[in-house]
Amino acid sequence: MDKGNLKELWEHILTQVELSISPANFNTWFRNSFITKIDDGVVYLAVPSQFFKDWYIKKFNTLLLKIVREVSYEFRNIEYVIVKDDHRKPPRENKNTRGALELPLEDFYINKSDNLNPRYTFDTFVIGSFNNLAYAAAQAALERPGITYNPLFIYGETGRGKTHLIQAIGNQFKKQYPGRKVFYLTSEKFTVDFTDSLQAGTANRFKDKYRQYDLLIMDDIQFLSKKDKTQEELFHLFNTLHDTNKQIIFSSDRPPIAIPDIFDRLKSRLASGMSIDIGEPDIESRMAIVRKKAALHGIMLTNEVVEYIATTLSGSIREIEGMVNNIVCHTQAKGGTPDIAEVRNSLRSFTRPQKNVSVKNIVDKVAEFYGIDEDSIYEKTRRREVVRPRQIIMYLLREDFNISYPTIGTKLGGRDHTTVIHSCEKIKREVLGDSELAKDIQDIRTLLV
Amino acid sequence: MHIKIEKKEFSETVHIAARFAERKSATLAALSSILIITGDDGIKLRATNLETGIDLKLSGEVVSEGVVAIPAVILQQIASSLTGEGKISLEHTGDIVTITSGTGKSSIKTVPYADFPSIPFPENPKNRIIVPGVLLKNLFTAIASCASNSTVRPELASIYLAIEGGVLTAVATDSFRLAEKKVPLSNSGTQGKFLIPAKNALEIAQALSDDEIIVSFDEHQCAFVSEKGMLVSRLTNAVYPDYRQIIPKESIVEAVVLRKDFESALKRSTIFSDTFQKIRISFDPKKNNFAFFAKNADIGESNETLPARVSGSALELSFNHRYLSAVLGLTQAESISLTAAGIGRPLIIRGMNDTSLLYLVSPMNQ
Repeated sequence: MDKGNLKELWEHILTQVELSISPANFNTWFRNSFITKIDDGVVYLAVPSQFFKDWYIKKFNTLLLKIVREVSYEFRNIEYVIVKDDHRKPPRENKNTRGALELPLEDFYINKSDNLNPRYTFDTFVIGSFNNLAYAAAQAALERPGITYNPLFIYGETGRGKTHLIQAIGNQFKKQYPGRKVFYLTSEKFTVDFTDSLQAGTANRFKDKYRQYDLLIMDDIQFLSKKDKTQEELFHLFNTLHDTNKQIIFSSDRPPIAIPDIFDRLKSRLASGMSIDIGEPDIESRMAIVRKKAALHGIMLTNEVVEYIATTLSGSIREIEGMVNNIVCHTQAKGGTPDIAEVRNSLRSFTRPQKNVSVKNIVDKVAEFYGIDEDSIYEKTRRREVVRPRQIIMYLLREDFNISYPTIGTKLGGRDHTTVIHSCEKIKREVLGDSELAKDIQDIRTLLV
Repeated sequence: MHIKIEKKEFSETVHIAARFAERKSATLAALSSILIITGDDGIKLRATNLETGIDLKLSGEVVSEGVVAIPAVILQQIASSLTGEGKISLEHTGDIVTITSGTGKSSIKTVPYADFPSIPFPENPKNRIIVPGVLLKNLFTAIASCASNSTVRPELASIYLAIEGGVLTAVATDSFRLAEKKVPLSNSGTQGKFLIPAKNALEIAQALSDDEIIVSFDEHQCAFVSEKGMLVSRLTNAVYPDYRQIIPKESIVEAVVLRKDFESALKRSTIFSDTFQKIRISFDPKKNNFAFFAKNADIGESNETLPARVSGSALELSFNHRYLSAVLGLTQAESISLTAAGIGRPLIIRGMNDTSLLYLVSPMNQ
């Protein structure tokens, strides 16, 4: 304990005093007192009135003296002073706001004029085998914008770094070509903007607004499906920008051809430039990502911890980022980097609960979903309304629960594993093109959680 | 301990003492009790809430000496139920006090008295004045209401008492109005000043006896000692604003009205005051009258004109009516003089032939 810190010393005294006297006594006599100063071994204690002064001298002097002596022999005596009313409130401690504990606000800063988040740059972008093609294409597009790959279409599953990559392109473009205009938006924002302009009767202004950009980045293009008017608008915008050699970048969670309910003429245009997918990051890339994210926060993690995180959290980089943030917060709150045991502990709450769902449970849920008798799933029937759910069950068991093909076959009424493989492949293929099926499966998945 | 006391005296003393006990039950049990001490000084009752404290003497027969603390509320309830003449006996055995009065007998659980704080007396007895209790009582009750209710500025929630040249000056203000009252003292040697919390002053006023009282004080504590006992209060340790600065030295108009006219006219006008409790007063030197005007959009309006002796120039000012009527409690004079120094400047109200009072009230924005 710091002997010179008045507040700390008083808190120490209070905790000691609290043990030796009754709570009522403690509350009555000690709540409004504090140490004003320590001078030449004498502790000056501020009390509210003469009542308190007399009582301290009479009752608590020996106790207090004993406590301060235990802290240090430097303290010779305690003096009691009655403090002026306006000084009664103890000097407010400059609250030690641990600035680092708060997430820096700049993370959420977004440049209004181009919608880009300056946090997303190539410096923080980890390049691995899973995305080096996309990265190379991005660099090529930056080299000769509007000419090399136009449009650049990047797709991949959620949390693979699509947004990071395309925003980084935007930020880099701004840096390389200071005079030119960049704009980033999501397709959803585009739709809202468009409908708003229709409502307000300013469709022309809307058209002009988007035609002025030298680089247009549109995120999550798949949400345009079924929005016919917006698609038409985008189609025209695309044509205009493409004809004037303005670079366009799209991102989506699936290849252009697989986006459902989009006009073919738009689809073909989306695919006309360069379509690149970002795959699942391999273990080395994930480790690199963990290191990089941690280093950005100024934390060095042991190899063991990095490896553990990278192996446990596969797939989404966003989850890895979340875990790293978790560790960062941990570190700042507790001080010191967490060891493997602590990380394992906090990861447990982070990872998805281990799915130990019985096959029967899934069969029940799916049968219920399609309104068929669950027994029919196990039967040898080839009725169309049963075959499809059965295939979906197989697909789910394989995809979500990693059950082996032969096991799935045996569990579902003794089918051959090749049948199961065929079913899984079939559904997997169809999911990409059939939005109804994809939605059904998504709904079933929520039922299973 | 075993004592016998006259019922009437016991009841009176307990009522006075109980007011000084802590009313909040959450604190120390000893603080919400009355301590009864019997010793060489006779019987004494003590109570304190750490702001104020009381130590009262009680005449009675001491059978055996001792100390006991009894919850104030219980003792007060018993005291108020006592009727008729005769004596009451208190006997303390173990942790039980047995109270016997006539045919009744009750046992009360006592509170450990070791926690009962000592009542501090001012350290420097040199600062002392002697005042009739009745005077002090009236002074405190009249002026305490002018002090601020808020404790944000402890000095404004206090009464400022200054002793100088044989005069005791008491001042209270809540920054909207100010009351200053002077009391002549019999001995003129002492000088000094202190700030007593208005709340404490009121409590003390209610407990003071009418006899001569010795007031002594030091930096942190003051005491009011009479033959019956001692009352103490902590003092406010703050600097009182220099109130003399705000008293206007010049005036442009003065009106003298009869107190009873002023009182009834003000009372009627008050009915019509608006949500801001605003009342407009006007001085008319030509017609020699003084008028109140109040208007409330929901109720109506009223105009009261009083005959007055007005000298100076015509003027209209608006006030909160509560601040105007407060002056009536401060002086008993038959006529009241109102002196204004101009628009936006405070109004001074005095009692005619009553030099002891100065009441100052700030006008409202028109």
